[in-house]
Amino acid sequence: MTDASPPRLPQATQFPQATGPEPTGAGASGPEPTCPSCGTPNPPDASFCEACGADLAPGQQGTGASPAAYGGVVSPATPQTAPTGEESPLDVGWTGPVPSTATGPAQPTGAEAQPCQSCGEGHYVDGYCDHCGSPPPDPRNHFAESPAPWVGGVCDIGRRHARNEDAMALTATEAPGSRAVLVVCDGVSMATDSHIASLAAARAARAVLDQPLPRGAGTRDAWEAAAARALTTAVATANDAVRSAVEGEQENPPSCTIAAAVIEDGAVVTGNVGDSRVYWLPDRPELPPRQLGRDDSYAHEQMLAGVSRDAAENGPHAHSITRWLGTDAPDDLTPHLTTLAADDTTAGWLLVCSDGLWNYCSAADDMRVLVHNMVTEAGPDPTPTAVAQALVDFANEQGGRDNITVALARLGGQGSQETTGAEAAPQEGDPIHG
Amino acid sequence: MADFTAEVFQNEFLPDGGTDVHAIVRITSSGASAATSMGVVDPGSAAEVILIDTSGSMGRRGVMEAGHAARAALNEIVDGTLFAVVSGNGTAQIVYPYAHQGALAVMSSHTRAEARRAVEGLRAQGGTAMGTWLTLARQIFETVPHVQKRHAILLTDGVNEGETPASLQAAVQSCVGVFQCDARGVGDQWRVEEVRAIASALLGTVGLVPEPEELAAEFQAMMRASMSRGVASAELRVWVPQGAELLFVRQVSPTLEDLTGRRSQVNPLTGAYPTGAWSDESRDYHVAVRLPARTLGQEQLAARVSLALGDQPVCQGLVKARWSNDDALTTRIDPAVAAYTGQAELAQVIQEGLAAKASGHDEVATAKLGRAVQLAGQTGNDEMTTRLKKVVEIDDADTGTVRLKKSVSKLDEMSLDTASTKTSRVRR
Repeated sequence: MTDASPPRLPQATQFPQATGPEPTGAGASGPEPTCPSCGTPNPPDASFCEACGADLAPGQQGTGASPAAYGGVVSPATPQTAPTGEESPLDVGWTGPVPSTATGPAQPTGAEAQPCQSCGEGHYVDGYCDHCGSPPPDPRNHFAESPAPWVGGVCDIGRRHARNEDAMALTATEAPGSRAVLVVCDGVSMATDSHIASLAAARAARAVLDQPLPRGAGTRDAWEAAAARALTTAVATANDAVRSAVEGEQENPPSCTIAAAVIEDGAVVTGNVGDSRVYWLPDRPELPPRQLGRDDSYAHEQMLAGVSRDAAENGPHAHSITRWLGTDAPDDLTPHLTTLAADDTTAGWLLVCSDGLWNYCSAADDMRVLVHNMVTEAGPDPTPTAVAQALVDFANEQGGRDNITVALARLGGQGSQETTGAEAAPQEGDPIHG
Repeated sequence: MADFTAEVFQNEFLPDGGTDVHAIVRITSSGASAATSMGVVDPGSAAEVILIDTSGSMGRRGVMEAGHAARAALNEIVDGTLFAVVSGNGTAQIVYPYAHQGALAVMSSHTRAEARRAVEGLRAQGGTAMGTWLTLARQIFETVPHVQKRHAILLTDGVNEGETPASLQAAVQSCVGVFQCDARGVGDQWRVEEVRAIASALLGTVGLVPEPEELAAEFQAMMRASMSRGVASAELRVWVPQGAELLFVRQVSPTLEDLTGRRSQVNPLTGAYPTGAWSDESRDYHVAVRLPARTLGQEQLAARVSLALGDQPVCQGLVKARWSNDDALTTRIDPAVAAYTGQAELAQVIQEGLAAKASGHDEVATAKLGRAVQLAGQTGNDEMTTRLKKVVEIDDADTGTVRLKKSVSKLDEMSLDTASTKTSRVRR
């Protein structure tokens, strides 16, 4: 032996016999589908891995959701395919750097050629690095989506949580501002399998919102009304997905928040339930940045009662939410809907995020400064995904106490600040249900 | 061809900031004794040397029984095996084969009969210098470097004298890696510590034979066990990740043996520990690794434990670490780790207690042996409890309250001492 590599072993004797005591080191496989990312066997009808939440359904691409499972929604009219190398790690068929050695002892050597992503020195020989002992990263713990050059996001486990219960689902068409859906869900960490439920919810909502909207009279009002209806339907469908994500009686049934935005030809309709947020952050300093919609949280109720933002968001129960998706969800799940006409007015960032980010930067003014700083630091003309990663890094540097999800859409294009005309005055309210 | 399997028993969950991972790795071989079950081995695949104490203290009766024992052992040696018989006192002499036949003879019905006659003529005289016996055995084995499996049986009845402890230790060290040696003491005039050191260094067992008449059965069993070892030599290999510290590697079953200091480096992250020859058996190893703590939710491989024949690993167990803030997961101690940790402490307090008693420190002895009684009870080691009862009066086994017995047979103390490193297998 001349290097630090543990020896390759003949397969027949690599692992203990299945007879007798069950050792912790034994690999097991049965008729059940085995998770492509972590190797855990799952029940035959499982859509997502019970252990890590990865997608088990074979052959899914793009949106990845199984439409039939989510209220009979049909496939999107224009399926999105991520550019090579940027597929979601949660999609089966992804060929990125998630070695397959974790799934069993006798995998081909392709993955073993990948250097360890933790130390960069060793290689994965038996599901673990031969230098530092790290397993390949769980793709559920950190993933990015970049469906178009103007839309991107990052979903990250953070620093302190054992599991990433945040989820994100994005789609976009190529032309800037043309069409995009951004969905962020935040699983409630006290509940069982919230990481599975949140991903199911985000994908279900994306599948609904990716449908072409009925044009009606062809007016902006008609589009906005249709988009708002779609958002309400998407929330209801996501709620169904959460309920069906885990079978049987659960002491703590999974639940999650949702925040979503639909962009079409520069117009934006957003909605949220819970405390995941959408921010509109115009570039022009004189235009006010703001949160679209509002939190369903104890902290928000405190603020309505006159408590300062700082006190409310740092006080006891600050993170208690008053509405959520799931088996024990309240009856009224109408999202806080907001429309924003931004197409011909101004340039800016639309940000959809979980509290893992805004906990460290809550006020919209501060958020705009933070995002603009990150844009500047990220170098010339950064992609939304790069900016989202910078914001995730920022939250982790602040402590990373929660899972962090950041999804961004660049609206109005770079350098369009000189555009004049009507300001993008957000109109809070629910245009459908009043 | 032998098959080996590895099983790992551990609780992989560490609390926030936790660093130490303990695991029991059980290595089991099967098919290892098939090679010798035919009753004949390839000439030159194995060599055996029988070392008989013929010092004056053995007396006429002792030497006669030692001769019987040697003949019993000769009967067990499979035809084709190379062998020799050595008698030792202040020096060592080859009893068989005869000088013109070389250092080792090939076992056959003819040579067996010659050897049996040769051991009849032994006489008791002179002192005891075991270093010279071992050195001669080494020289004999070194004439056949191509022979893979080399094993000796050593019998003594007395304390090493006529050479310094340092000289004995140097002789033992020179034999490490050359041959394995099982050692037996007969009667109550030998020192357990001294003989245990020889057997331990040479990957063998130590045992007490109270009466010379019991030697033949003991020799027969020892040689039969050696013949059943169809795998000549294997080494345990332990890999730990960069930045980790390997706290210890211990064999914990069938006997306790600290292997930590016997490491030879395979590569900077991997150490090898000799385990000698294997028959069809299971051995348990306790591996403890200290890792830099990772953040909650992270997983890391703490050790790869494998058995290698030559350079070829034949089985491997993975020891893992996973940090969690779930107390229900992190506070559980694996039953196997707990049981063997208790048995290791049991052996230690027995040996320390007996040593304190021998040097007149009765208070220390009472405390140590009391703790031993408590541990034997907790680990359900009834055999050890029985042996302890011959040395101490037990007032309360649960609290370890004992009194030293006024008159204790030296043999009972010695048998407790020699048995202290035998462990009872943890079942799952």
